[in-house]
Order: sequence, then C-alpha cells, then structure tokens
Amino acid sequence: MSLQIRKDFDNKNNHWLVELEGEIDVYTAGQLKEVFKFIIGEKKEDIKIDADKLEYIDSTGLGILIGALKRLKQEDKDIIISNIRPNVGKLLKITGLDKVFIIEG
Amino acid sequence: MNVNQGDEIRLSIPNKPEYVGVVRLTVAAIASRIGFDIEKIEDMKIAVSEACNNAITHGCRCCKEGEYNINFVLTEEKITISVCDEGEGCLLENIKEPNFSKPKEGGLGLFIIKSLMDDVEIKSEKGKGMMIRMIKYLGDDI
Repeated sequence: MSLQIRKDFDNKNNHWLVELEGEIDVYTAGQLKEVFKFIIGEKKEDIKIDADKLEYIDSTGLGILIGALKRLKQEDKDIIISNIRPNVGKLLKITGLDKVFIIEG
Repeated sequence: MNVNQGDEIRLSIPNKPEYVGVVRLTVAAIASRIGFDIEKIEDMKIAVSEACNNAITHGCRCCKEGEYNINFVLTEEKITISVCDEGEGCLLENIKEPNFSKPKEGGLGLFIIKSLMDDVEIKSEKGKGMMIRMIKYLGDDI
C-alpha cells in the first residue's frame, strides 16, 4: 500500500520518463501531484509513464493525471501511458480517459 | 464456503486516507471468500475505495475525529456493500455526469461506482450524511 515514483528526463527523445510502482489512491495521490508539479515546472515536455508496476489507481489519481495533462496541453504536449495492467486499463476505458491520454503497448 | 443468508460484517473506519488501502484489502478478502473472480474483486475494490474517498473528503469535513461505517451483507447470490458517513451530505441533483470531451480533475468517483457495480443506490440529505449502497452479483454477467 505505497507508491514509488521514479522520474528521469530522456534527453535523447526529449521527454520525461516516469515509472510508477504500487498504488495511487487518496493517500498516495499527493506524492504524484508533487512530482508532476516539479517536473512540469522544470520542463514542459511530454511525460511518458511506465505503468507496468502500477497495481491500482482510482479517481484521485486520474484527477491528478488530468490536471497535469491540462498544463501540458498549453504547450501542446501529451501524457503517454504504456504497459498498462488490465484493471487500470478498464478504469481508463470506462472513464473515457483512454481517448484523452495516449495509450501505448 | 457455506454463506448463511444475510451474514453481515461491519467495519468502522477513522476518516483518514491511510485506511482506504486497509478497506480495499478487506473487500478483497471478503469477496474472495464468497467466490468472486479476480475481475469482479478488482471492480469492487475500486468502487468501495471511491465511496470511502467520498466519505472522507465530503462526508466528514465537519467532524474532526470522525469515522464512517461500511456494512457487508453476504448471500449466496450477491454481496451488498453500504458506505455511510454522518457528514454534511449533499443535494444529489447537484451531482453531474462527467463530460468526456472536457475531462475534469474531480467528479469521477460516483460515475466509476455506477459503472463497476451491478446496482447502486445513493441516499443523501443535507446535514445528515450520505449512504452509498452497492450490489455485485455472483455468477456470469447478464
């Protein structure tokens, strides 16, 4: 019941890489918000999220992703989410957010 | 497992975000005990968490050291989960459906609950708290 976030800027491809591990809920969402605030403050570039180890997300986490995307869209940048687990994918689908974020793999 | 008709489990949880994960584990344990498959258990974990989020953020604002209650009623064919708070409640007609073309940071919780559970009933009265009752049926989806 915790969340680990690893972030790195990929100079070659000019985007952020964010690896999420664990659960994003009302308790851990604040951590994610801080990381997004920091990296978007540093460089407004595309954010590529590796969700391979993301076991759980709820509306609190989705809200933070939407907030971050709104800030990125001002510069025509995107959030790309890859390696999504089925339970996370189902939630993105029913909320229509699979059309809002770019989903890969 | 032999589930007696109407077996009931009651939880009383402090309205703190750190316990929502504990509720999720409890939901998974109860649901798996009565034979739900993994996909339905995942649905219920999310739906109940969303109801808890609601109780914590909207329901208990007025009570500093407050708590909220979760009831599980188990039968052979379904599980009924009720999340009740004694907070400020809200006017149900003020709850809007999300607009998919213009996603917002908030307001997805109740929509997610309705999407993931088979039957949902929401009762609220201004000043008297809120009750979200959710039902999930065992067996194949119709």
